[in-house]
Amino acid sequence: MNPRRIAAVARKEWKETVRDRLFLLMAFLLPALWMVVFGYGLVLDVEHVPFAVLDRDQSSLSRDYLYRFIESRYFDYRGSVSDEREIDQLLGDTAIRMAIVVPERFEERLLAGRSVTVQTLLDGTFPLHADTTKGYVIAVNNSFTQELLTDFLARTRGLGSDEARRLAEPVSLETRYLYNQEVRSTWSMVPALIMFALMVASPLLTALGVVREKETGSIYNIYSSTASKAEYLVGKLAPYVTISTINVAALWMIAVWLFRVPFKGNIAVFIAASMLFVLCSTGIGLVISLLVRTQMAALIITIIIAMVPTILFSGLLVPVPSLSPGAQVQAHLFPMMYYTDVVRGSFLKGLGLKAMWTDLLALAGFAVVLQLVAYGLFTKRPKA
Amino acid sequence: MKEIGAADSSQHSALSSQHFDAIVKVSGFVKRYKKHVAVDGVDLTVRKGEIYGLIGPDGSGKSSLMKAIAGVLTYDGGAVEVFGTKVDSERAAERIKPKLGFLPQGLGLNLYPELSIEENIDFFAHLRLVPAKDLIERKARLLAMTRLERFRDRAMKHLSGGMKQKLGLICTLIHEPELAILDEPTTGVDPVSRREFWLILANLIQEKGMTVLVSTAYMDEAERFHRLSFLSGGKVLASGMPTEVQALVPGSMVTFEATPQLEAIARLKKSFRQVESLGPLLHVFTGTADQSEARLQIEAALGDLVPAAVRVDQPELEDVFVALLLRNNEHKETSGRPPTSAAAHNHDGVAIEAEGLIREFGTFRAVDGVSFQVKQGEIFGLLGANGAGKTTVIKMLNGILLPTAGAGLVAGADMRTAAGTIKQRIGYMSQAFSLYLDLTVEENIRLFAGIYGLDKRSMTKRYQWIVTMAGLSGYESSLTGQLPMGVRQRLALGCALVHSPRVLFLDEPTSGVDPIGRRHFWEILSKLAREEGVAILITTHYMSEAEHCDNLALMYAGRIVAEGSPADMKRQVEKEAGRLFEVVADQPGKALVYLQQAGFHGAALFGTKLHIFCRDPVRDKACACRALEESGLHVTSVSERPLSLEDVFVYRVMSLEQAERVPGQEVAV
Repeated sequence: MNPRRIAAVARKEWKETVRDRLFLLMAFLLPALWMVVFGYGLVLDVEHVPFAVLDRDQSSLSRDYLYRFIESRYFDYRGSVSDEREIDQLLGDTAIRMAIVVPERFEERLLAGRSVTVQTLLDGTFPLHADTTKGYVIAVNNSFTQELLTDFLARTRGLGSDEARRLAEPVSLETRYLYNQEVRSTWSMVPALIMFALMVASPLLTALGVVREKETGSIYNIYSSTASKAEYLVGKLAPYVTISTINVAALWMIAVWLFRVPFKGNIAVFIAASMLFVLCSTGIGLVISLLVRTQMAALIITIIIAMVPTILFSGLLVPVPSLSPGAQVQAHLFPMMYYTDVVRGSFLKGLGLKAMWTDLLALAGFAVVLQLVAYGLFTKRPKA
Repeated sequence: MKEIGAADSSQHSALSSQHFDAIVKVSGFVKRYKKHVAVDGVDLTVRKGEIYGLIGPDGSGKSSLMKAIAGVLTYDGGAVEVFGTKVDSERAAERIKPKLGFLPQGLGLNLYPELSIEENIDFFAHLRLVPAKDLIERKARLLAMTRLERFRDRAMKHLSGGMKQKLGLICTLIHEPELAILDEPTTGVDPVSRREFWLILANLIQEKGMTVLVSTAYMDEAERFHRLSFLSGGKVLASGMPTEVQALVPGSMVTFEATPQLEAIARLKKSFRQVESLGPLLHVFTGTADQSEARLQIEAALGDLVPAAVRVDQPELEDVFVALLLRNNEHKETSGRPPTSAAAHNHDGVAIEAEGLIREFGTFRAVDGVSFQVKQGEIFGLLGANGAGKTTVIKMLNGILLPTAGAGLVAGADMRTAAGTIKQRIGYMSQAFSLYLDLTVEENIRLFAGIYGLDKRSMTKRYQWIVTMAGLSGYESSLTGQLPMGVRQRLALGCALVHSPRVLFLDEPTSGVDPIGRRHFWEILSKLAREEGVAILITTHYMSEAEHCDNLALMYAGRIVAEGSPADMKRQVEKEAGRLFEVVADQPGKALVYLQQAGFHGAALFGTKLHIFCRDPVRDKACACRALEESGLHVTSVSERPLSLEDVFVYRVMSLEQAERVPGQEVAV
């Protein structure tokens, strides 16, 4: 291995990449763009559900009831209507996703100790969304009922309000969310998106960089030269590893400063894992590039290989333990899962080397195997 | 197989006399791509210090052979030995690479478009660990020699074809290899740049004692080589020194005029296999080296037609190659005589008229006041380097591009106002052939007929005509993608003719086709012009093909700088520059330098021979001989040569360039 030859290849590759506008955009803009687009776009929280009300009672109690929805951050009040047909139209136009109909004599019946039925109309187009919304509605309704009951007990039995509450709600529930106290999906998604953005951009860049040379024939400069296989591969990879490392830093900053995701873990572990993962992802690109002849083929294969396992089996959207046993095996065959573990562990759980050394070891294994496979596949004297 | 025997004997002499000097030895070389046999049993020996040429059409196996010798391709049979190392594994191949420079095929494709000239050179040098001091010195010398130093910092993607070619050469030679392997370095480059390239290469070989293995698809470059092999279909048809190859097929070329030409061709074809029409001239290869005998044979074959302006010459290498090809694989002559269209066409009248055509792109004037006329039944050639404006002229005449100023009439329609009518009346065939490779020959023809809206009856009639005319019978149900290039080319021509156009535009139609295919194609073209009265406008970069045209226009920087029949153009140059002489002397490289010092600036090296222009033959000849002999060189012979169109092209462009070149403001060619 002669460092001067490696430097020659690396310098040439770097100049070509930063001068080719398309490559430059792909190298630096694409990962950040993915991160921002998906970070904002892939939010699974249900908040600000637009809704309208039809208050047939128009009493102070009915207004009190509806006010609890209006002031909730989960709902977005869009106005009140006077006719049920208007609700149909608003739901149909997706102007609202929910409507609450308060019946006549709501206050009168409640004060008389009788039960009432409030009708909620939900847009069921997205079942998960509708289910979550239903949960919110039930929660708001329950707390209203609870309060009515407490009031009633306090009034009739002459008890203090605390005592009345104890009586009305003998078992109370206390929930504490760990790691992601506000249960924001952004917090869980954005760190994993670092993995996703790296996994899309680095293999693509590497694969296209090598196949471009095959397509034009400039690879023959290498074949016919005295540069060894290892010198070429190291020199060729160096700029892409550098670019990906810069991207790791940029993505980390986007996560912490733009999305305000707290970083609680050990930065050294995170950097080490990221470097290993960059070697894996560029290695995947390198292996693909040695198997195909055209940039188009490299593009398609890289996108399929990079996207399918990354989305399905990395734990990005669905936790790996929730996958089917077959899918779990597949998840372990790709480096993405291990890196996702490290990223989430570092950002949200504040875990250190002790908890994640197995993931790091797996990543190192993948990096070595992928680079060795690439070395084995590369020949300076091909068959065709 | 006489010629293979001869090839063997030349190798034996090489092996016996200069055994230790053989740098490349190839024997029984076989290369397969899956089932397809690309090279089938080739033997080859390259000796130290020579330029060895591989000549052959696309797909003849040149590239595979060269890559295997360069150690960048495996092979399936035989042996390859380079610098005494058997190249049979990746490890063995690595051992020869320090002494080797390889330039792959494709103009500038192996260079890095985003890098500047200097950065490209530096990359190649660093990859080869050229010491910094040597690099500076070599770079300066090579850049000066190629006149590229002014463009040091220009990105490679902004270079012209000729500049890319020269840069490719510098990059391949920057580490001063002992053996340079150059795969089609001159393809796609205009004749001026090609000549310059050979000059630079000859100088470098002279200086450094380098050995060169080079391939070309241009038959007329064969004379640049010390020795050569002619490849076809993966086999060597002939090899040896150019004169040796010439001797394999003894014969003479008889050139003359005879009218009516078509009748004369029909009669000659009964006795001779190589009959070509070059404008008004006929060009016939006779199997006898005796010149008066050859003349008698022609006269006998012509019967009562009397040949005029008869000239008998030694055959050119291209004629020899065609004779060898014909002898070897019994070439099936499929082209029948198509039924002449019933309606007698009007053979007179102007088919294309361009008057003061100007086209500007922004501030750049691509075409500047171009005027010419093409009559019905005339073959008109538009020549010029890349970027001279040929394509822009064709686009304007086709009604695709509006001229900035000027007028043009194509097939009776005004190109400014009746673009639609023009498209109905003309046929157009591009370099890419624009065929559907997944359709059969018949389907392709019917598709084009459908596009032009032919009804069923005329379609059937036209289909028959095309198949006969283009010699496609037997191929009707073959997939177009599987056809040989020559047949594909004729199919493309047929498709361009489906609507019986009166004017035909051909844009570099013969790239990549073997010499027999090219001749067959030209035979069809001249029939179209002579019998059907179709006007044909063609662009080509094969100067030998331009000889087929009735009239030519040479374009340079958007203007027509010379026009006339090929013979006229040669006469004009002879008048201005003098006649062409070939000098054979020992140490031709040194001889070139002495001749240039003696004032023969146009002197050029062709293999082992030198070409000079003499305005006053007697005086200049004596002057040249004196210059050489005073320097201690021995002059073997000085003989006159007929000018080729390439000589004309190069002379014209060079003198224009010289006139334009203001010191310090050199522009890219």
